[in-house]
Order: sequence, then structure tokens, then C-alpha cells
Amino acid sequence: MQFTNVTCPHCGLLCDDLSVEVNEGLVKLTNPTNNSCASAFEDACIDGELPSAQINGKNVSLDAAIERASEILKNSSQPLINGMIADVQACRAAIALTEKIGAVMDHANSNTMRPNIAVMQRMGKVKTTLSEARNRADNVIIFGSQALDRFPRLISRVLQPEKSLGSEQTLHKTITIFDANNCETSEQIKQHKGLNYHQFDAVSLDEIIQAFHGIIQTTPELSDDTDDMTRTLVELKNTLLNKNYTVLIWNTGLLDAIAAEQTIQTLTLIIKTLMKEIRCVGMPLGGSKGEITANQVITWQSGVPLTTAFMSGVPIHDPVTHNAKSMLANREADAMLWLSTYRSTDTPPNTDIPTIVIGHANMQCNDAAVFIPVGVPGIDTRGLACRTDSVATLPLKKIRDINLPNASDIIEKITQQI
Amino acid sequence: MAIKLSGGKIYDPAHQMDGVQQDLFIVGEKIYHALPEHEKVTQTYDLKGCIVMAGAIDLHTHIGGGKVNIARIMMLEDQHQHPQEGDHICRTGCGHIVPSTFSAGYRYAEMGYTACFEPAVLPVNARQAHMEMADTPMVDKGGYVLLGNDDFLLNMIQQGVEQSTINDYVAWILHASQCIGVKVVNPGGIHAFKFNQRRLDIDEKSPANITPREIIKKLSRAVHELGVPHPLHVHASNLGIPGNFKTTLATMSAADGLPIHLTHIQFHSYGAEGDYNFSSAACEIAEAINSTPNVTADVGQIMFGQTITTSGDTMMQYFGHEHAHPKKWTVMDIECEAGCGVIPFKYRDKSFVNALQWAIGLEIFLQVEDPWRVFLTTDHPNGAPFTSYPHLIKLLMNRSFRNDAFSIIHDEAQKMSNLASMEREYSLYEIAIMTRAAPAKILGLSDHGHLGEGASANITIYTQQEDVEQMFAKPAMVFKNGQLIVKEGQIVDIVHGITHVIKPEYNEDIEKPLKDYFDNYQTISLPNFKISDDEMEECIGSRITVHPCVRN
Repeated sequence: MQFTNVTCPHCGLLCDDLSVEVNEGLVKLTNPTNNSCASAFEDACIDGELPSAQINGKNVSLDAAIERASEILKNSSQPLINGMIADVQACRAAIALTEKIGAVMDHANSNTMRPNIAVMQRMGKVKTTLSEARNRADNVIIFGSQALDRFPRLISRVLQPEKSLGSEQTLHKTITIFDANNCETSEQIKQHKGLNYHQFDAVSLDEIIQAFHGIIQTTPELSDDTDDMTRTLVELKNTLLNKNYTVLIWNTGLLDAIAAEQTIQTLTLIIKTLMKEIRCVGMPLGGSKGEITANQVITWQSGVPLTTAFMSGVPIHDPVTHNAKSMLANREADAMLWLSTYRSTDTPPNTDIPTIVIGHANMQCNDAAVFIPVGVPGIDTRGLACRTDSVATLPLKKIRDINLPNASDIIEKITQQI
Repeated sequence: MAIKLSGGKIYDPAHQMDGVQQDLFIVGEKIYHALPEHEKVTQTYDLKGCIVMAGAIDLHTHIGGGKVNIARIMMLEDQHQHPQEGDHICRTGCGHIVPSTFSAGYRYAEMGYTACFEPAVLPVNARQAHMEMADTPMVDKGGYVLLGNDDFLLNMIQQGVEQSTINDYVAWILHASQCIGVKVVNPGGIHAFKFNQRRLDIDEKSPANITPREIIKKLSRAVHELGVPHPLHVHASNLGIPGNFKTTLATMSAADGLPIHLTHIQFHSYGAEGDYNFSSAACEIAEAINSTPNVTADVGQIMFGQTITTSGDTMMQYFGHEHAHPKKWTVMDIECEAGCGVIPFKYRDKSFVNALQWAIGLEIFLQVEDPWRVFLTTDHPNGAPFTSYPHLIKLLMNRSFRNDAFSIIHDEAQKMSNLASMEREYSLYEIAIMTRAAPAKILGLSDHGHLGEGASANITIYTQQEDVEQMFAKPAMVFKNGQLIVKEGQIVDIVHGITHVIKPEYNEDIEKPLKDYFDNYQTISLPNFKISDDEMEECIGSRITVHPCVRN
């Protein structure tokens, strides 16, 4: 059976123009075909029997698995709810569980979320959304060509549209892409026409961004000795001052993990400085593991963003001492629930504490104390997901019915039994 | 099974009942004035010495949508300073200025509110706004969808399409976004800001080559002709600018005599007189409201202290960003539809401007003669958090309390205001009008906001006290749809309100140009843009009630 206008939850762009063919357990992306988006649908194919719930790698009934999961969480003195790769409804259920058992909630991508949240708390932000960029921008600067691989249809759907509400300049945007010398160049650089690509002799994207900030503040005198990066960035500044609407794009995961917060602060400063005279906005890309969704839901329900600790009976935003990675490393959690519904490959981090996995049906989780396979949102279950720009929420359809349970139902049952 | 509310003093302006002692009965979810046949009273509450009103309705409060979440993240210190523990019925939460959704619902119910309306639902963000409202328990909800800066509408107006086509689009958007009203924010100004225009006055051509006045004309007519009960809800141009009262008066006239609601009008009632080039134009604004029966307004009173301003008005929020406290600010351009600006702000009584803003709000309340046409709001959280309503009511009801408060604000502001000379004190009956009967009437909620036979049993009971601030802060009892949810200011039971919507009739041919627009320019497809009724219930989490339109 063919389904159209299917939303793809496998990257933060949440493209919703997909056609997908479903034949019992098999799902196949039929349009578009010319990119890497198909693999996420292949990953969801189930040929033959449905995977069973498991306790310690042995098949058990769903009820037995739910009961065991409840026991583990009930007996834990400091549980951790982690992963959170899920749709709104499962996030709602997981938050209620976290609250009830005084757990800490973190996300699989919390390391890349934290710098953006921290800068927003400190400075605020200036941002745009996908359609606004598509129709308004005449100048786009992308830090890191790998962003094109991580968000495969960014160019075709947003930056090089066939039509635009704006002028010729917004239809044919000036697109400049920078890589540092440690960056792998995206194949897409060759596939699209008219991209200005520069790979600089810089150790990281962060270094390029800091250099750009310096040039925005003060334009250096150019001489024969001026290096390629400085020369290009000065040209870029001159171009930018004559453009109507410039969008800066970055993906935190491509920045230096330690420097990222400083780098995003610098990007925000660049934008806010330029805003005094011209229109310049940021468009950070993220959300490919549902982190925008999880963060939106916890922020409205608890009042604070992820990472969120409920052990004192009230929600505390505490990404420093209670992030999942350090809690696991320091043995500060004694049980973990890993919620991961979009891809089979998003498996839990290695740990020797009892782990409950509410996971993608094709996930291999033999080490888990409890594994409960659930439906994939947007394929097996109806739901909602939030896009990279944190503004658009897209509906996820149920296009296959092979009796895989909803993650939210499973979590609610576990919660009821505690 | 009936509940008898015995001997309370009824304040029900919809039925001209001004403190009349009368029994009420609750059967199921409804109010009765006499015990229906075959019903037995199973519970009686002795309400001697109590005041009985309908549940209060807040017609303008920012409780859901992306901007509120941005505010929550930016106000982390306030969130952590106001933790709220859960218990066997209430969920945990935090925040005083921008509370978490559960906490917002509890705080509203504890003050006797039973319905709240989010005034800035961006169509593309409507799902999130409705999800946040669905997770706001205790109260009914509804939203006003934001139009007037969206490229589709501006292009239609610019091309001179017929009013009926604009009406179809407005109706379509109301369906698609599951809203009950239409709001316009800085008409054309948010769009102009995307072209780096920093100001736009009402008769100035925008980059879309139309004026804000034209947008108001078209939208107010559309709302009227579709029979949407709530008039076009207008956040006028030039918010916060000294001398903006002239723009506000021009905005009133732009509706050509059709109903128009001016929101947070305090922020739009400024003159430019005096040593500070900032003065009160409350008198001019109140006179205009008094003499123009098609105009209603809510005040958007400010209160002194820390808050955060969340608005769709990117143009004026950016203009005000240098006054941010603490020094941080957010501005977003959104999806060829709208925008948002979020800026923390601290109103200080020793600041001339802030002190005068405070006085201007009160001057408007006291000078608008008809309480059916002026509404009690702080534009939560922009003027102050909604939890300051009981204090605001006391300022309106108690002249000596008001004058004591006035006497400690900035000296020069005192000289620029005639507040101290105003003798008016609002009565309980007038408070019941502006917080119950009038909002229900102007929203088209026929069985809300009153205590008539057959009305929804949303009832708030206060123990009569000398100190009205105490009284309104902590009702003795609150019933929501017949269920006792608050006792002595404490939540005793949890209910989940519904979402009020309207669905005007329209010509479905409008979907043809809309489909082209979505296919060619948007990053969401038209079918996925629309929120269906079953999606509201199954995914978003709220049942809807559809209210009738009144074709004009």
C-alpha cells in the first residue's frame, strides 16, 4: 500500500513529502529516492515474526517484561531515564515516570543540546525557521559541510528551492560552506551547483567561527601575506553587509565538544552585532534523535529543559552534575531505562547496571535486563515530533499495523505498577 | 445526585444579579435554580456569608506555544526559585513568572479561574500551543490564531482579491489551527522587520506595499462576516513608543465601525509630553473607548517586579531589547507567517517610565465607564504574572489602598498622573462583569461566565472578607463542570478542561491556491498543516467543543 505526505522523523528537518510503500512488515521509501533517507525505512522492515520482549536475553511475555521493568525501577535508589529518542506521547509518559520515581532524565544527544540551551539561557538567540530561510534568505553560510550529510535534503528543500516568495536573489541564494582541515568534505558539495566551498587550514570549525567574529568586529588590512581564510572571511563580511537576509547554519555535533558552548556564544554575538544594521539570523540544525521534541515537552511540563533531575521531588535543570554520561561513569545511577524508538542502531551506552530498553523492534539488546520492542513512531504509531527550528510540530502517521505496541502505553503500564 | 449551594450571595451580571441571596443546585455538569424533579440533594454547602460568582475567564494570557518555552528556558533562575512539589494528585513543576503547564493550571484554578485563552497561536506552532494547553489541567482553553503578517494574506490584500476570498482563508486557518478567534500583532510590521524595516506606522506602506490599516480593515471585516463571535483581537502598531496613542486611535477607526478588540491597551496609551517626553494618554484612550461602542479593550496592567515579555511583535521587541533585564533577548522570524520576541524585563516603581506605565493602566481601568468593554489582564507574563490579579482587583476596588501605592512611585510620575484624584472604586458586581460575564460574552461562550439555569457549573465561591486581595487569591470553593476542584485555595481534585473552537463555513475552493502556496513555498505540506479533530483528542490531548458562529 502506498502512503503519501509521510513525515520522516529520521533527521531534524522532518520532511513530510515522502511516499512510502508498505507491504505487511516491509516499508520502503519510494520518493524521494536520490538520497540516504531510505536507510531509516529499511531499518524498520520486519520480515517474519515480531521480535519478542526479553528478560536477560530470553523471550518472555510482554506482561512479564513490564512487571520486571517495574520491579527494577521500584528497587532502584537512583534511576536514570535516558535516550528519549521518541515522539511527544512517549516523552509525556516518560516524564510522568521520571517524576514518580525521582529519576534523572537525560537525552542521547544531551552533549550537543547543552551548549545551545546554555547560550540561550545566558544571551537569548536570534533564529529563523526552514520556510523563512527558504523564502527570505539571499545569503547562507554553513559551518561544516557534513551538515549536508546529516540533514540530507537541506539544500534541495530549503536552500535551493525551485520557487521563492522573494526576489531572484532569494531563489538563487549565495551559499558559502566552510570546512576546517579535519573535516570530511560532504559528497553533496559536488552534487549541487553554485556552492562556494572553502576548506581552510584551521584546526576546527570553531577556529573559523572565532576568526570570523574577529573580522566582524574589525576588518583587518589585507596584504600579500594575508592567509586564505582571512581573505575569504573579509570578502564574506563585505558580501554580507550588502545582502538582505543572511542565515548562519551550524550543527553543534560538528563543533569541538569542549569549545562548542563558547563557539555558539560567538555565533550569537556575531548575529546580534550584525543585527544592529542588517538582518542576520541563526539556524542551528539538530533534532535527529528527537532531542528537540524531548526538550520541548520536558520544558513545558516541568518548567526546565533537559537534563532534568527529579530526585529532590522538584524538577531541577542540572546538566553538569547529573548528565547521564557522568552519572554512568561515576556509578551514580543504579538502574537505567533507555527509550529509543526511531532507529535500531541507537542502542544504550555500555553499563553494568540493570538496563531496561524500550526500543526499536529491530534493536539487538541481549545485554539488557529487560528489552521491550515497540513500534516506530511515524510507521507503527501515530504521534507528533518537533522540527529542528523548535517551531513546527509535524504529525507522524501510522502506516503499518503489525501489532507493535506504543512506547507510551508500555511506559504508562510500567509506571502504574510502581 | 445534586449538590445544593445554599444561601450564597450571587453576583451574576449576565442576569443582573448583584449580591442577591439565592440557592443554586448542581446536577451533573450543569447549574439549576431549582432542584429538578427526581433529583435528590446528596450534598449541601452552607454559603451564608459567601460570595458566589461564575468561574473566572482570562481572555488574554500567554500559557502555550513556542515563545512560552523560550521564556521558561531563559528564566531558569526564576524557575528554580519557585519549585512546586507534587503530591498524590498534583504533578510537580516550577516557575512563578512562566510556570510549567501543570503549575499554571493549578494556580489559575486556585484563584477561581476556569477558562484561559492563549492569544498568539502561530498556525505552524498551533500543535505545540495546543499540546501545552492540553497539559494545563483544571481550566478550559482556547487560542486566537495569528494572522496579518503571513505572506499568503498580505499577497492577497496586495493583489486586491475580494473580501469573500479573504474570509475563506481566515475561516480555513481557524479550522486548520483549531482556534476560537483571530489576532493580529503589529499588522504588517513583523513582516516588514524581516526586510530590516524597524518601524511601521498605521498608514505607512510596508514592504508588502500595503498599510497596517488595510490589514485591520480586511481582517476585522472577515471576522465579522464569518460570524466569529470574538472581534478581531488587535495588538496595535508602535507598542511602547511615546506618542503611540494616536496610532491606537487610528487603529480603532480602521475597523470602520465593526467590532474590534484592542489588547494590552496600556502599552498603546502613551503621550510624548513632559520633561521625559513620555506621558499618559489614558484619558484620550478611555474617552475614545467610551464614545466608540464597537471597541473593547483589555488593559495589560503592569506590576512592579521581574517578569519576561513574550510577544509576536519582533519589530517592537527588538526596539526594546536594550531595556532587557537581565541583559538577554531572543528574536525569531517564523515561517513566512509571524515571529516572536522574548525579553526579560523588570518594572521598577522608582523608574519614571515604569511608574507611569503602572498608573496609565489603572487610569484606563478607572476611566472606561462600561465594565463590559474593558477586561482585567496583565497580558501574562508581559505586564506581570497572572497570579497578581487579586492585587490588581484590590487596586481597583479600594481607593485608599490604591493611593497609598501611588504615593510611593517615582515622584515625577506622580506629577504626570491624575490617578490620585480618581474616586471610582470597582464594585464586586463590576469585577464579576470584567472577569466573568463580559469575557464569556465577547468570546461567544454562551454557557460560561454566568450562573443561569443550564449554564456549565463553573462556580467560584469566596468567603466574604474585608481584604479583597486575600479573598480573590483564595476562594473557599471552586467547581469545574460540577466537580469540586479547589477547597480553601487548595487543589482537591484534578480535571482536564476542553478546548473551545469555532468552525466558520467557507468555500473549499480556497484550498486550491493554498495547495499551490504550500507546494511551492512552504516546508510543510498542506494536509499535514491542518490539525484534525481526532488529532486534537488522540495526539494533542484535548477534546474540543465547537461554538456556533453568528452570521452577520
